[in-house]
Amino acid sequence: MSGRHGIEVVELVREFPKGPRAVDGIDLHVAPGEIYGFLGPNGAGKSTTVLVLTTLLPLTSGSARVAGYDVATQGRYVRAEIGAALQEAALDPLLSAREHMRLQTTLHGLSRSDRKVRGEELLERVGLVEAADRRVGGYSGGMKRRLDLALALVHRPSILFLDEPTTGLDPQSRTALWDEVARLTREDGVTVFLTTQYLEEADALADRVGIIDRGRIVAEGTPQALKDEIGRPSVEIVPAQDGDHEALAAVLSRFGESVPALSQSVAVRLRGGESELAEVVRALDGAGISVSQLRLHAPTLDDVFLEKTGRSLEGAGSEHGGDESAG
Amino acid sequence: MSSSTDRGGSFVSVAHGVAWRNLHNHFSHPMYYIPSLVFPLLFFTAFTGALGALTDLPGFEFEAGYEGFQYVFVLIQSAAFGGVFTGFAIARDFETGFARRLLLAAPNRQGIIAGYALAALGRWVFTALVVTGVAFAAGMTMPGGVGVAGLYALALLVNGAGILFASGVAMRMRTVQAGPLMQTPVFLALFLAPVYVPLAVLDGWIETVARFNPFTAFLEAGRGFLVGRPTTVGLAFGLAVALLVLFGWWAHRGLRSAESAG
Ligand SMILES: Nc1ncnc2c1ncn2[C@@H]1O[C@H](COP(=O)(O)OP(=O)(O)O)[C@@H](O)[C@H]1O
Ligand SMILES: [Mg+2]
Repeated sequence: MSGRHGIEVVELVREFPKGPRAVDGIDLHVAPGEIYGFLGPNGAGKSTTVLVLTTLLPLTSGSARVAGYDVATQGRYVRAEIGAALQEAALDPLLSAREHMRLQTTLHGLSRSDRKVRGEELLERVGLVEAADRRVGGYSGGMKRRLDLALALVHRPSILFLDEPTTGLDPQSRTALWDEVARLTREDGVTVFLTTQYLEEADALADRVGIIDRGRIVAEGTPQALKDEIGRPSVEIVPAQDGDHEALAAVLSRFGESVPALSQSVAVRLRGGESELAEVVRALDGAGISVSQLRLHAPTLDDVFLEKTGRSLEGAGSEHGGDESAG
Repeated sequence: MSSSTDRGGSFVSVAHGVAWRNLHNHFSHPMYYIPSLVFPLLFFTAFTGALGALTDLPGFEFEAGYEGFQYVFVLIQSAAFGGVFTGFAIARDFETGFARRLLLAAPNRQGIIAGYALAALGRWVFTALVVTGVAFAAGMTMPGGVGVAGLYALALLVNGAGILFASGVAMRMRTVQAGPLMQTPVFLALFLAPVYVPLAVLDGWIETVARFNPFTAFLEAGRGFLVGRPTTVGLAFGLAVALLVLFGWWAHRGLRSAESAG
């Protein structure tokens, strides 16, 4: 066994020949048994990081140890300790799930009897027993992801890499996969390194989150700490009379900087946090402004991303972008 | 620490897994195994049918019949092209990303090449059995008796060299567009050898090219084994082993190139 080793990355750089510095000097420490969420828009460098850490791509400079082994010089030991489900599930459309299982258990050198038992156990675990003899070519996206996950677990890895495991899945499949990942950590003590473009995913699943943008980590911590640190709540108020709009804005500006809101309302990020809400209400009262609606918005990881990069996470990707950033 | 290597599987288990998957795909899909049979059989029947009368030519005498003469070519040709098809399979696996599953699971990545090679061998043995059956049915004889084992040994080496050559190309290019790069050199080498008639009957520049073509030695030696009058044996085996070593190095470097490209 690996003992108690997680992932240690120091000043990691990966440059593509004639391409960008996809990973531009990152430091990472993932504790054993932890779920680490690597959050960032498209093109941020998430997959490149995963490929380096799983020994599929050499690093340009810096160092990385996974399960206590150096990825550059001890690749074979790293590979024995890790499981990975990459961004494009590497499946053969001509093979069935059961045949994939047979291949994977053979590659990992399980004995003939273990192969059968372990394969069936994992197919059961991800709910693919009924479809197990059908060719994977006809599977849905969710089924492929589940199979890929099951295959990654064949040799009981101590560290699991999941590169955007829920991208393109419907909400049910997504939560089913979250449950499975949470269970792996809880019951088997597996360390999970998970990349995602989804805030909710990092928020719901990760013990700690690293936010990556353009190859650099811009923020790191527990989801709550990150939100507490930067993302103070904002208050959004709709005045009862349209004419009060400007007066309302003037009063609110005393409590924090304004943030975008619907046209009939005014919103500010509360400098002093939630506790200032009573103060705000008293001030409005004093100014004779009556309120039709008042909403308090809890901070999100998107606020964190916005704060650190000046852009919204939704639509910040280098390939896709723009169309989602409104609102 | 010592137990961690056990979990990744050995050279043998990796080779076993890769070979099983490729053979399984090949034989459970007619779209794969039919072409690998049709082409050699087509060569065989086309040439023996149309050119069988050549045996009347002055300068042509071959105790095993024109069928036997062509059988040797078809056997060597299918061995070489069997290797090329393996290159296609490897290139396809890199293009689709499936190769990453193998690279990730294999502590010893040489086992991956060994697996593809074993599968190619299995496929070729099947083709060779069918071609041999057809040749016998068409009237081929084996005056050389058990000496014909030399022919099969030679074909095996050619098969291995073809596999290593094509997988070296495939792992450098990592796309099925590399197909022509694997196919064309083998095709040219094969058809610039004394395919239809013996070297002695060839003329002009073809004769010059054929004289320096390793396939000439393979075919002449192979035909010698078939009729029981071994010729150019040392040269043929020497060349085959040299190609095997050269392309072994080429494939090894190709694997390195694939590893550093992700
Ligand atoms: N093989 C490659 N060659 C050149 N550039 C690449 C390659 N792979 C990724 N990149 C580039 O590196 C950057 C990071 O990509 P990637 O790690 O895939 O991001 P993410 O997974 O966060 O979407 C992008 O600009 C991408 O275009
Ligand atoms: Mg990615």
